[in-house]
Amino acid sequence: MRTLRGWLKRLSGIFRKDHRDHDLSAEMETHLAMHVEDNLRAGMNQQSARREALMKLGGVEQTKELYRERRSLPVLEVLFQDLGFALRTLRKNPGFAAVAVLTLALGIGANTAMFSLVNGVLLRPLPYADPDCLVGATNYYPKGPFVVMRERSRTMDMAANTDGTDFNLSGVGVDTPVRITGASVSANWFSILGVTPESGRVFRTGEDQPGNNALVILSHSLWQRRFGGDPGIIGRSIMLDGESREVVGIMPPNFRVPSPKTELWVPLQLDIRDIGDYWGSSYMPIVARLRPGVSLEQARHELAGLRPQIFAAYAWPMPNDAWAKSTLLPLHELMVGDVRPKLVILLGAVGLLLLIGCANVANLLLARATTRQKEIALRTALGAGRWRIVRQLITESLLLSILGAALGLSMAFYGLAALKSTLPADTPRISDVAVDARVLAFTATLALLTGLLFGAMPAAGASRVDLTKALKTGGEKSGAAKGHGFSRSLIIGEVAIAAILVIGAGLLVKSLWKLSTANPGFQQDYILTARITPNQSFCEVPGRCQSFYRDLLMRVRALPGVKGVSTADGLPLSGIWETIPSDIEGFTVSPGAHGPMLMERVVTPDYLHIMQIPLLQGRGFTEADTADSSQRVALITKSTAEHFWPGQNAMGKHFKPRWLKDWWTIVGIVGDVREASLTQNVPDWIDGEMYIPFGPHAVAGRGPERAPAEMTLLLRTSDEALLTGGTLQSVVAELNRDVPVSQVQTLSGWVSDAVAGPRSIASIFSIFAALALTLGAVGIYGVISYSVAQRTREIGIRIALGARRPEVLLLILRQSALLALAGIGIGLVGAFFLTRLMASLLYGVSAADPATYFAVSVLLIAVALAASYLPARRAMRVDPVVALRYE
Amino acid sequence: MSPKQDVWQGTLALMVLKTLEALGPLHGYGVARRIEQTSGAQLIVNYGTLYPALLKLEQEGYISSEWGQSDNNRKAKYYKLTRAGRKQLAREAKEWEQTTAILERFLAPGEEHS
Repeated sequence: MRTLRGWLKRLSGIFRKDHRDHDLSAEMETHLAMHVEDNLRAGMNQQSARREALMKLGGVEQTKELYRERRSLPVLEVLFQDLGFALRTLRKNPGFAAVAVLTLALGIGANTAMFSLVNGVLLRPLPYADPDCLVGATNYYPKGPFVVMRERSRTMDMAANTDGTDFNLSGVGVDTPVRITGASVSANWFSILGVTPESGRVFRTGEDQPGNNALVILSHSLWQRRFGGDPGIIGRSIMLDGESREVVGIMPPNFRVPSPKTELWVPLQLDIRDIGDYWGSSYMPIVARLRPGVSLEQARHELAGLRPQIFAAYAWPMPNDAWAKSTLLPLHELMVGDVRPKLVILLGAVGLLLLIGCANVANLLLARATTRQKEIALRTALGAGRWRIVRQLITESLLLSILGAALGLSMAFYGLAALKSTLPADTPRISDVAVDARVLAFTATLALLTGLLFGAMPAAGASRVDLTKALKTGGEKSGAAKGHGFSRSLIIGEVAIAAILVIGAGLLVKSLWKLSTANPGFQQDYILTARITPNQSFCEVPGRCQSFYRDLLMRVRALPGVKGVSTADGLPLSGIWETIPSDIEGFTVSPGAHGPMLMERVVTPDYLHIMQIPLLQGRGFTEADTADSSQRVALITKSTAEHFWPGQNAMGKHFKPRWLKDWWTIVGIVGDVREASLTQNVPDWIDGEMYIPFGPHAVAGRGPERAPAEMTLLLRTSDEALLTGGTLQSVVAELNRDVPVSQVQTLSGWVSDAVAGPRSIASIFSIFAALALTLGAVGIYGVISYSVAQRTREIGIRIALGARRPEVLLLILRQSALLALAGIGIGLVGAFFLTRLMASLLYGVSAADPATYFAVSVLLIAVALAASYLPARRAMRVDPVVALRYE
Repeated sequence: MSPKQDVWQGTLALMVLKTLEALGPLHGYGVARRIEQTSGAQLIVNYGTLYPALLKLEQEGYISSEWGQSDNNRKAKYYKLTRAGRKQLAREAKEWEQTTAILERFLAPGEEHS
């Protein structure tokens, strides 16, 4: 304790040095005077009295030095001296300081922003109670299997939620009905996640059973926006899809699960009597909490063991391979698994960027160390130890890196905001991303490491000076040659890294370009789309829905500027479709295997025409196909026809939904459409796609033949004003005030959203690559300028001896081109190996795409030549008279 | 610092504390003279070495200092024992007595054979 106190006092002693020095001198003086007086009293004469007193006191300076050492901490004092000196040196070279600090700030700032992202998404634990015990299933399950598992599992408590369900919200606090995204969850879902409501309560056991489940929990933002933050809302009822539900709770502001769009939660309806819904449709993700003492392995084992029990409970025979591959993963991993490789690649890229920055600053320091050689030699001659010099130089570089980190941190806040807005909004956990203590620690570590990285080599080199040579006039030459080899390798390394980054960016951009220009199978311009969603109950009266849509289409078609209009139960790339297990004429399924699954599009006759999906064979739909008296007719896509009837004509063949008796007849074959994504027509587990007219035989889900209530309207127009959707909304409102219009967006908007992920990765990576290229150019410029300055004398001699000036220009440019070529060579090899890591992010372009590699090489040489053009021109203009007199 | 010097420093500190306890507030010169007299001029070679020791004691809070007037009207820095210093003195003195007692027994001639 006392020792600690002593240390603190010593620490404070550093800051009151002058005062204390003065104090000690006064004390010594008093001491001497008293001693002299005593001696005089003892009979000595004045001179010997003083002499004796001085001798007795001992060396005054030694005492003072001892005292000083005791008073404060010499190590710290030296550090402060070094810092002060470093600051003065930097202030004397503002240009150097600015370039170095800015370079480092860019590198450290970009790394900090990127690390914040990685930290928030990948590293921070989920914001739930005891998150390590939460797991999720890799496959989705319908309600029935979920209930079987929830009841039988001994190792976990299981919950389920839908991915997202949209609701019409009307009634209290709502003028016009709005479409709200919510989720249906099992009653125990909230308690298994371990989240508590802001007010009210979560669902209780049994509240997912029919009759008990007319309940809803609101998100904080919906409560604020629609109900004015009124706490009295709890216990009151709101209207969702035309049905009344009691509000029982409000969740805290940051809770938006399963998607960031989620605004409310209702209990699942686990109704065993609704066989199709219970066992067939609505596949849901499963989350579970491991019971105490249970390992993930045990839980996985149990999950596999539950499969036969699920099959035994099923309403119909299940294929043997159902859920065969389903297993459990930690919930965090399951949530972020898809973005992990992307973030890691971006973090790697930004790390390389920092390396380039370090190389640049190291080069600056090297150049400066050469010009400072005399100063260092002088200090060595005056007795400064080598270690003392190295320490001084390292302090200088640490000061640079700390300044860079401070500036970089403030840049990181903007960078992070930009990153977050560039990434798609549905990036998991993006809302959890913030600068926290771990990020700050990361930045601090980065500052120290970079300072040492770029400072160590120049410092070690500079401290090893040859005194005699350095102090002689013109002695810089020897050091210059030595430092130059190292700085050349730095530049080569820099160019190599820049080449890797630019090639990576090139591949991503090319892949994005291929993706965006890939033919989706339909024409996307000048089409406005909107989701029209009457309540299901409205459509349960036979024919009411159909006549509503018939009227709507008629009115919209009559609008000025409308060239065509149609509806469909979902759009390509929107993620909305029905999957129909089907029987296919002449296609036998081996027992225990999956039956064919068909993607269903219910459309009105104009759909093909508006989307410009080519009709390859047969006929399209006509108005007659939607009339009450119509036959069951369908269209299929080309690849579906080839899949089920290879080498035959599919026209006139038949299929049917498995649970119905009547067969549909294929009357036409149309072109393939990218339904699932821009790279895939239909998902792997679906075998084909068919179109059915929006008429009496329209099929939706697994129920009886029932027209879907929710449809998407498509409207082709050349009128930009119509594309905003305002007119459309008022037309719908005129027809039925209770029908909300949502997802108003152009079709090209949907297509653009489909590449949002790849586009964001490509743009972020490209920015990093552009920064790398800029830093590389600055580095080349610096080194070539420096070399020209060093070679002024030599160039002067060459010119004096008759070298022509363009030859001098070429000499310098050649030097730069050689450096760049060496760097590019290494970079190409490096890129060949490193870009394989991002193969999963590429579409339609190989990781070793020769065109990209070639283009990047040319670009880099051009940049190197451009960067060295100014110094080369300076070399060309060297005046031999001045140059030879120089030094 | 060698171990021997450490022992010396500890001893010197103890003597300073004892001096201040015996004589009350005193300036550095007075402390030096007193120690010299008591030890028979054997201990302090240079008065100067006393000042870092005084500083250390002050930093540790065992003594405090204040500028004041000496008997013949000279400005001098006076050192005074603090409460912590008094406690420390008692503790150190006790430890010292124990140590010397042990050493005495240890070094007494012939004892080990009895």
